[in-house]
Amino acid sequence: MFGGLRQWFDPESAHTEGTTPDYRFSLANERTFLAWIRTGLALIAGGLACAQFLPPLPIARLREIIAIALLVLGGMVALRAVDHWARAERAMRLGIDLPRSRFPAVLAIVVAIGAVVLVGTVLHGIVT
Amino acid sequence: MTRDPGASPERTRLAWRRTGLSAAAVALLATRPAVRPGAGPAEWLIAAATMAGWAALVALALHRAPGLRARPPRPAPRSIRAYALITAALAVLGGLVVML
Repeated sequence: MFGGLRQWFDPESAHTEGTTPDYRFSLANERTFLAWIRTGLALIAGGLACAQFLPPLPIARLREIIAIALLVLGGMVALRAVDHWARAERAMRLGIDLPRSRFPAVLAIVVAIGAVVLVGTVLHGIVT
Repeated sequence: MTRDPGASPERTRLAWRRTGLSAAAVALLATRPAVRPGAGPAEWLIAAATMAGWAALVALALHRAPGLRARPPRPAPRSIRAYALITAALAVLGGLVVML
């Protein structure tokens, strides 16, 4: 997931290998990166909103746990976005296949499970 | 190559702007505890740091605009890395807000 860590802090290394790709592809990669950042920001905002607007849940501290989980997820999405951007940029310069990733699927499953847990908790709070 | 010289950079510029707006929502939520009654220095410090982070994100988007206007547009690896790291820092600040 963070294979290209070295590339982050050595931006020039990404611009010496291979050939410069069509700028439209680079810009598309940049927009994809920004879309992921917005996803991360949305998760962070969701975490803060949970902490501030949810009523206390039947399980002690569950509200804070949900909030922190969303914040951690948001931070991970941001870090993963820059890693994926760097690897896609490198792949385009070298003319190899774009990096494939399980991350979007894993994120979707985690968010879906979280939503089910939250619905269950809220329903439990209504019933009891 | 030059069939759509405007569209790609323009869409990218708007994407930067949109992302800054998303960050504004995070900044507002993180600042909220600081303007409620009973807020202390810790809340104020976190609110100030979050606002500084948001200002940095907007500044990076503004800094990127001239590069996008160039023909062909210049890449921005440093801006992109800084943007992601500041976003992660906002997540950490959000964690502090929740744990206060």
